[in-house]
Amino acid sequence: MGFFNFLIYLAIMMGIYGILSLSLNLQYGFTGLANFGQVGFFCLGAYITTIITLAFGMPFILGLFGSMAIAGLFGYIIAIPTADLREDYWAIVTLASAEIVRMFFLNEDWVVGGGVYRGGAFGVGGIPQPFKSHFSAQAYPFFYFAIVLVCLLAAYLIINKLTRSPFGRVLKSIREGEDRLAQAMGKDVKGFRLKTMAVGGMFGGLAGCLWAHYYGFISPNQFLPLETFIVWAMVIVGGKGNNRGSVFGAVIIIIFYHSTRYLKDYIPIEEVTLASLRMVAIGILIVIVMLFMKEGIIKEKKPIY
Amino acid sequence: MTLIQVIINSIIRASELSLLALGLTIVYDILKFANFAHTELAMIGAYLAFLLNVGLGISIVPAAIIASIATGFLSILIDRAVFRRMRGSIGIVVMVTSMGVGIALRNTVRAIWGPDARNYAVPLQKPLITPWFRITQLQIWIIIVGVLAMVAFYILLHYTTLGKAMRASSDDPDLAQASGIATEKIITYVWFIAISFASLGGILIGMETYVQPYMGFAIIIPVFCAAIMGGIGNPYGAMLGALVLGFAENFGLYINFGKVLNLGGLLPFSKDLFIPTGYKPAISFVILIVVLLVRPRGILGKKKEG
Repeated sequence: MGFFNFLIYLAIMMGIYGILSLSLNLQYGFTGLANFGQVGFFCLGAYITTIITLAFGMPFILGLFGSMAIAGLFGYIIAIPTADLREDYWAIVTLASAEIVRMFFLNEDWVVGGGVYRGGAFGVGGIPQPFKSHFSAQAYPFFYFAIVLVCLLAAYLIINKLTRSPFGRVLKSIREGEDRLAQAMGKDVKGFRLKTMAVGGMFGGLAGCLWAHYYGFISPNQFLPLETFIVWAMVIVGGKGNNRGSVFGAVIIIIFYHSTRYLKDYIPIEEVTLASLRMVAIGILIVIVMLFMKEGIIKEKKPIY
Repeated sequence: MTLIQVIINSIIRASELSLLALGLTIVYDILKFANFAHTELAMIGAYLAFLLNVGLGISIVPAAIIASIATGFLSILIDRAVFRRMRGSIGIVVMVTSMGVGIALRNTVRAIWGPDARNYAVPLQKPLITPWFRITQLQIWIIIVGVLAMVAFYILLHYTTLGKAMRASSDDPDLAQASGIATEKIITYVWFIAISFASLGGILIGMETYVQPYMGFAIIIPVFCAAIMGGIGNPYGAMLGALVLGFAENFGLYINFGKVLNLGGLLPFSKDLFIPTGYKPAISFVILIVVLLVRPRGILGKKKEG
């Protein structure tokens, strides 16, 4: 892979993870819902679009909206049991539900669409890349980057609009542990949490869809809980409660994550060890930011009304 | 598999889980945050025992004791370095930090020992075989250690000054402090007890199966589920939760739901219907959801807070 191709690959990854990070930021940064299962939406989005486009031969755009719809619905459903409860429970329920999604696609290997789609541990290959035939192999990554960029912009604008609206202000009051304040104002706290998870799930599903069509191959062990924590590092380092910060965090973490991949060319270290050390660094980074710079790199603007 | 065998397996699982859930719940009780590094520390204990047992050739019993004490001290160190600086922060912030600690711990072990499963140097177990069940000596020990740990904990909580101080600090930290209880000192003891129990649980799981960097993460959902089911913050609830979960996990795979659905042959259809083994981890999750829906404060949950 040439250096230039590598850059465009990085840019696409930044875009996809930027969407994931914006989605998590809406949940955690704005509403205080600690979703430890963000990868569940990602996985669901990737599989739903694969089933729609590969097994049923539908166009990409249907796959995209389908995965958003299903992942959003899933977010809404998993929020129901915990919507009334303290935030501690969110973490474990979301973590578990993401594992359930992965376990489902790992264990269910039915044949759909005359044998084109077959799930299970070995994964699914040959996911169609949208509009591939219109471009040369050289130009296609640029086109795909454009698609990702449009989606990232849409996600950014929608979430930004949402968080600056009266809706967003209610979310912040829920985050600050002022359920009672929000309730006293006649706001349905439970309903707001459910809606937040639905919107968060939608964009998580969107990211999954873009990822599946970019790689062309998905398997359950691409969606380990590890991915969730990488997205968490993005939100925390970039600055929670702040959409620009989330995208910025995604850029930083992706650069860090992928640049260290080439370290093994320079120092004698095994790939597995390097991957572990990279995650040690991510873990420590989360702890350090939480301890010493709670607001992250870009601070949340707190307007005074 | 006979019914007695399933019951025995359930009790073994419950013993392991209760050692872990107990620690999680007492840390939650006093510090008011869900520690996502808890099961990772159990994994650290299992690996320290591995280092002592296989690396240095110490036999497993002293190795397990030394490793559990060492892990207990490690948790105090982590508390001093990280969690102590966050006293008074809201639970969710500390929880996210603990997740970061957990990731760092898990991957440190993975970087040192690699991702593969390893075994302790214990002689091959010859099971005791009867017509109804088979059990290894190790499994008998797991049950004994589990029960002894619970009894020890009960005595500690109700018949020692430390236990009284622990209960006071968790009920009302300010009042406890005003009454001359050094809350920070109590917290140190709680960490030590919680994590050395957890480490013991990790070692027992490692002895029965194997040690692996992922083992801590693999049990996080059942352990949290046990603690929440019993009412988080309540040590006896955690024990009860572990027991219920141990039985549910084993009976979930044992019961033929086809027979349940046709009411034991009363209805005309008959089809064998078992939960596939691949979904075993999902059982604890489903129970967790049901508990949260029906009785969010747990079976023995306290009335206050929500």
